[in-house]
Amino acid sequence: MSAVLAVSERVRAGDISATEVARHTLAALAAEPFNAVTRLLEDRALDEAAMVDQIVAADGDPGPLAGVPYGVKDLFDVAGLPTTAGSALYAGAAGAENDAEAVRRLRAAGAVLVATLNMDEFAYGFATINATHGTTRNPHDPTRLAGGSSGGSAAIVAAGLLPFSLGSDTNGSIRVPANLTGIFGLKPTHGDLPMGGTFPFAESFDDIGPFTADIADMRVLWEVLAGRSLAEVRGEPRVARLSGWFRENADPDVLAAIDAIAPGAPLVELPEVARARSAAFLMTAWEGGALHREALAREPMAFDPQVRDRLLAGALLPDEIGVEAQAFRAAYKAQVLDLIAGYDVLLAPAAPCVAPPIADPHIEIDGAPAPARAQLGIHTQPISFIGLPALAVPLYRLGRLPLGLQLIGRPHGEAALFAFAARLEEQGIVGSWEPGGAYRGAAA
Amino acid sequence: MRRASFLPSVDPFLLWLMGVVTAASLLPARGAAASAFDVLADIAIALLFFLHGAKLSREAIVQGVGNWRLHLMVLASTYLWFPLVGLATGAVAGGWVDPLLVSGLMFLTLLPSTVQSSIAFTAMARGNVAAAVCSASLSNLIGIVLTPLLVGVVLHPATGAGGFDWHAVRGIVEQLLVPFVAGHLLRPLIGKWVDRHKSILLPVDRGSILLVVYTAFSAAVVNGIWQKLDLADLASLLGLSAVILAAIMVVNFALAKLARLPREDAVVLLFCGSKKSLVSGVPMAGALFAPAQVGMVVLPLMIFHQLQLFVCAWLAARYGRAAPDAEAPVAAAVQEVLPAPAAPAVAPLVVPVAAPVVAPAAAATVGAPGTIPRAPEEIAAAASVRGLTIPPECAEGVSANLALLAEHAARLRR
Repeated sequence: MSAVLAVSERVRAGDISATEVARHTLAALAAEPFNAVTRLLEDRALDEAAMVDQIVAADGDPGPLAGVPYGVKDLFDVAGLPTTAGSALYAGAAGAENDAEAVRRLRAAGAVLVATLNMDEFAYGFATINATHGTTRNPHDPTRLAGGSSGGSAAIVAAGLLPFSLGSDTNGSIRVPANLTGIFGLKPTHGDLPMGGTFPFAESFDDIGPFTADIADMRVLWEVLAGRSLAEVRGEPRVARLSGWFRENADPDVLAAIDAIAPGAPLVELPEVARARSAAFLMTAWEGGALHREALAREPMAFDPQVRDRLLAGALLPDEIGVEAQAFRAAYKAQVLDLIAGYDVLLAPAAPCVAPPIADPHIEIDGAPAPARAQLGIHTQPISFIGLPALAVPLYRLGRLPLGLQLIGRPHGEAALFAFAARLEEQGIVGSWEPGGAYRGAAA
Repeated sequence: MRRASFLPSVDPFLLWLMGVVTAASLLPARGAAASAFDVLADIAIALLFFLHGAKLSREAIVQGVGNWRLHLMVLASTYLWFPLVGLATGAVAGGWVDPLLVSGLMFLTLLPSTVQSSIAFTAMARGNVAAAVCSASLSNLIGIVLTPLLVGVVLHPATGAGGFDWHAVRGIVEQLLVPFVAGHLLRPLIGKWVDRHKSILLPVDRGSILLVVYTAFSAAVVNGIWQKLDLADLASLLGLSAVILAAIMVVNFALAKLARLPREDAVVLLFCGSKKSLVSGVPMAGALFAPAQVGMVVLPLMIFHQLQLFVCAWLAARYGRAAPDAEAPVAAAVQEVLPAPAAPAVAPLVVPVAAPVVAPAAAATVGAPGTIPRAPEEIAAAASVRGLTIPPECAEGVSANLALLAEHAARLRR
């Protein structure tokens, strides 16, 4: 049974108390070796768990996530704590007055928040190399990156230390680390999951989403976070494979898996993907630069040096370019939606390769080395550019470094993606596995 | 706790330098290892000057050279007033400070100005950025020949046979001049590559300096530098550095008044004329002085370098705040038209372009509307109208990121 549902059922049945689960989880997280956790929320977790236990004791319904521990990327508001977005700049800020809306909904469903999790500063990167908290390590090979910017959220679920977590995805920050750590990660249709109380990055593209170890957990979390049931899926899904840009700079194993999953599916080539990705890159820099301009003027040296230079450059972008990119996006989105109107699921790589080594965080793009921090999102960025939902799924490859793909849908088409992913999971084509190796003992 | 925003931070590179000095003090290279490091340091110095040559934009000098009176005043400050102050300091300190440290103090007064921080501080103080680019670049170009000559003239008689050796001229030509000229002549071929890959070259640049410093301090440690030096010596160096910097700034301030320079040009004279380049100075010392002496000679430069950053950052911020009020509404207007973080999702968002509200002085260097700033003066001007200052240590990274954004903009507009 899935991790989330397994905990919830046992807590609801009274087999185990939410407090026991929380204590056990907190102890494991305190010793986690992947540098995924930034703050352990011991008091809060035990309070929330005690409330769940009281409801169970009174024969009440604590919700579908009763006693399920989870963590959030360091950009969700947690009442009483500063929202740092992974930056030392806001470490001393006033505590948030309320929980983020997503956290509030999870709490209402019985989930227990136990930790905040590492990220690239201000979510600007695909590597989770953080100047304040250090680099998050990949549980499948701790000498490698976990990807980013939601690297802490991905690593902690991949390590089996939490059954789910929340991250955010602006250009691929959920899908890339999900692929690199071998778990499921959802970037929803833009705006469908609640963004209230999260630290923004580039609001044209920002979304939040869960990381889970299987698809059943993903479904229940989507329903809790969206506040509604998934639509019913009828009939065979209409599947296509994305070609052109999405078959370049991709791992051959992923392309082979895509062809094996849908051998007869048509190849669809989206137009002008390079332009779309460039427009996404520019809008992100422009919006991110504008967002942080005041702090950059006030305390530039308090930023992570890698992020600071990128944000400063973005702050210097002429407005005309941002406006041009926005105009292009509007026309481009309409064009792509027409093109994919006849399909429910589009298959494409999410990350271009397996997790790069921490010692040399570069990947090969068009035959030349490129910084992983900026380039791991080449296949995800054009999709979030037009706000489509995309579910990152891990190819089941026990004993090897994780790789995966993204299932892309039409707007609000998450149900079709979940149904298709569930079928692949049943067939043993996709699925997560707990990392092996000597470090596993230390992590457990 | 938040740091007070008006205080500039410690230059991170200085922390690296201190780390390397500490490493050399604890684990100095000796014997065969020292010889190997000497060879590596020689190669690193040649590489550094090759890159300096390749990076220096002759076009920037040519474009800004019209303001010749200002450039002459900056050059006079760098190569005339500074050495005179250095000689006076040497005469005063000669009796009670270690002779090699005195040589180091005098040596730093002979060095060219910095390029990046001079421009950044000028922009921050709302001075004439284009003139600062020209002046600082010109100072560096001339310094490649003039500084070694001045070292020969000023330091040889001052320190006797133990200081400067005219045989070092060959070393200068081989290690500094030839690679510099080669790099500069190859600029038409490799200049664009160098400009595009500044972020990759920065570690080469800085790594080379660290290597030279490690080699120099290893030799100095083996030679007993820490037996000769104590805290009092370091405090003396800091005090003497402050005296030199203050004297030069007072001279330049007075000369700017005398010459009735416009405010923007007076700022250039103050900031370009008061800087000394660590990046040029360390390898030059490596080429000009005996290995065992280099550590002692560059120590004053390292202290002066940090002091000048602190003082100039403070002064530039004051100048910036005191700039004519006419620019304040401009900055406010730009703030208004730039996208509000919460709003730009609406498409198509009609945002008035910034160009019409850019101050005329800045407009000259910002470039055409919609053009991504690339040249240092364009970057400084664009930053200025947004109320930003590009810290010197970010200049290379910001430039590299703007180059990447320019590639994406070209693709968007194709």
